[in-house]
Amino acid sequence: MIQAHSLAKSYGPKRAVDGVTFTVQPGKVTGFLGPNGAGKSTTMRMAMGLDRPTSGTVTVNGKALAEHRAPLREVGALLEAKSVHKSRTARAHLSALAATHGIGRARVDEVIGITGLGAVAGKKVGGFSLGMGQRLGIAAALLGDPQTLILDEPVNGLDPEGVLWVRNLARSLAAEGRTVFLSSHLMSEMAQTADHLIVIGRGSILADAPIGEILAARNRTRTLVRTEQPADLANALAAPGVGVTALDAETLEVLGVDAKTIARRALDHRILIHELTPLQVSLEEAYLELTKDDVEYHSAGTGAVPVAGKQA
Amino acid sequence: MTMATQQIAATRNDAGRTDGAHLGFGRVLRSETIKFTSLLSTLILVLATMAVLVGFGALGAWGIGTSLEAVGPEVFEAEGGLDGIANTLAGTGITFAQLIIGSLAVLVISSEFATGSARATFSAVPKRYPVFLAKALLVAVVSFVAAAASMLLAAVAINPIVEHYGLVQDMGSEDFQRMLWIGSLYVTAVALIGFSLGALLRNSAGGIVSLAGLFFVLPIAFQLIPGDFIADLRRFLPSEAANQLISGTTGPEMLELWQSWLVFGAWAAIPLAVAGFVLQRRDI
Repeated sequence: MIQAHSLAKSYGPKRAVDGVTFTVQPGKVTGFLGPNGAGKSTTMRMAMGLDRPTSGTVTVNGKALAEHRAPLREVGALLEAKSVHKSRTARAHLSALAATHGIGRARVDEVIGITGLGAVAGKKVGGFSLGMGQRLGIAAALLGDPQTLILDEPVNGLDPEGVLWVRNLARSLAAEGRTVFLSSHLMSEMAQTADHLIVIGRGSILADAPIGEILAARNRTRTLVRTEQPADLANALAAPGVGVTALDAETLEVLGVDAKTIARRALDHRILIHELTPLQVSLEEAYLELTKDDVEYHSAGTGAVPVAGKQA
Repeated sequence: MTMATQQIAATRNDAGRTDGAHLGFGRVLRSETIKFTSLLSTLILVLATMAVLVGFGALGAWGIGTSLEAVGPEVFEAEGGLDGIANTLAGTGITFAQLIIGSLAVLVISSEFATGSARATFSAVPKRYPVFLAKALLVAVVSFVAAAASMLLAAVAINPIVEHYGLVQDMGSEDFQRMLWIGSLYVTAVALIGFSLGALLRNSAGGIVSLAGLFFVLPIAFQLIPGDFIADLRRFLPSEAANQLISGTTGPEMLELWQSWLVFGAWAAIPLAVAGFVLQRRDI
């Protein structure tokens, strides 16, 4: 479990992470979604104790990582591909990390096997492809058989088979009851891997909800309705597939019915409506809207945002 | 689904291979030793240190021998005699050896940051200081042993040359012993300064250039700049303090020996303390 509380990090005047509070639960894959530069990596580095928070706290399995007796057994992290000396072999890199905790050669061989690095374990990391570097990073993360895994953009540079492998690995680790926290800047990648999503943009949390809820909200019409008889209107609209949430004494958010139908039902039941606003902005649109100012390369003219993940 | 099932079996640690795994300083030291020995560059630099000390020792012996033959022993008698002249030849190359070992020490820590392996290292040891202490200890032991072993090897290697010119190298003499032990301590101090610079600058080239500046450029610059203040200051350079300790001489223009020891120790300890403190505080 990872818990962040009012976690903030500033680099000079730039606020990379702006007071985020969230909990990453065990037993599921939690996606950390946001455009490049949104603060994902910084948040993960703070969880790993590599970066010191400007304010706030972050704990892994209840304590700051440095306070654990066996950090590698608590959390394994893939932070950036090839966090390895280029002239060292993959096996030497893993053996050196394992030695800090007295983890033996058998486990080193085991993670080499799990990640499919057997054929290149004795080769220098400098010659590795990006994909092999990612696999080595994942091998290092698995070394201590940790309860929590932090994977920053784990599918970057992987071929389709590798992408599928990471997805299955993340899902099976979560199925074993572990906490799996993985970041991506692609909505499509998250939709296929994550159970729960935390969306971050410009250092702030935009959404923190189960993926089903987020996808439902995205695919269905949302309408804001103000009326003096919210309970009557809720009854009038009740139907399978329709969700009504009271935002305050006079305001309802209606899911799954369009504005015209709501107006007709209200008329039929003689309920006075004084506001009827279709809410078109879905999470992905909100995400893309935020992304627009942060992406490095805009595609000219169309206004389309290059990171737009196609939703399958 | 079958693939996922297989991976559940593979990632689960049924064999208990990580049971009892936890951090310990001895284990961190072992990890650093694995890192140190798993790089070819380390071995090359240690061998280069040996080659330089043996090579310069031999050159020094040959040089004294030939000048002895050319001018005759009378000239040497006038300058203090032939007694003990061969006793410090094995340390002739120490000025160059210190730079090689110092560069190695810079790399031991700067390469972690240059390659990004620091992220993996300090994720495994988030307390950080055990890594710093283990690396410093490793640097100190390796540089002391490499320097001492190289000088002993040089002494053995140049003995035939020395004898050929009718000179005597007495490895039991006070001069030889002072050169061997204090000289090795000096190389160790240089290595620790290099290590501290590597940790502070996190840049291999920057660390090595700064180290060379401190030991090669600064003493010469201080010699060229006129003025008593600069001359006074020069005595506080690590190379000057070490020179005095190795020769074991004192004079009106020099520090007392104990003062030189203090200067020497401070040059090793203070940068190390600052580097350790900064590493503990700064983001990786």
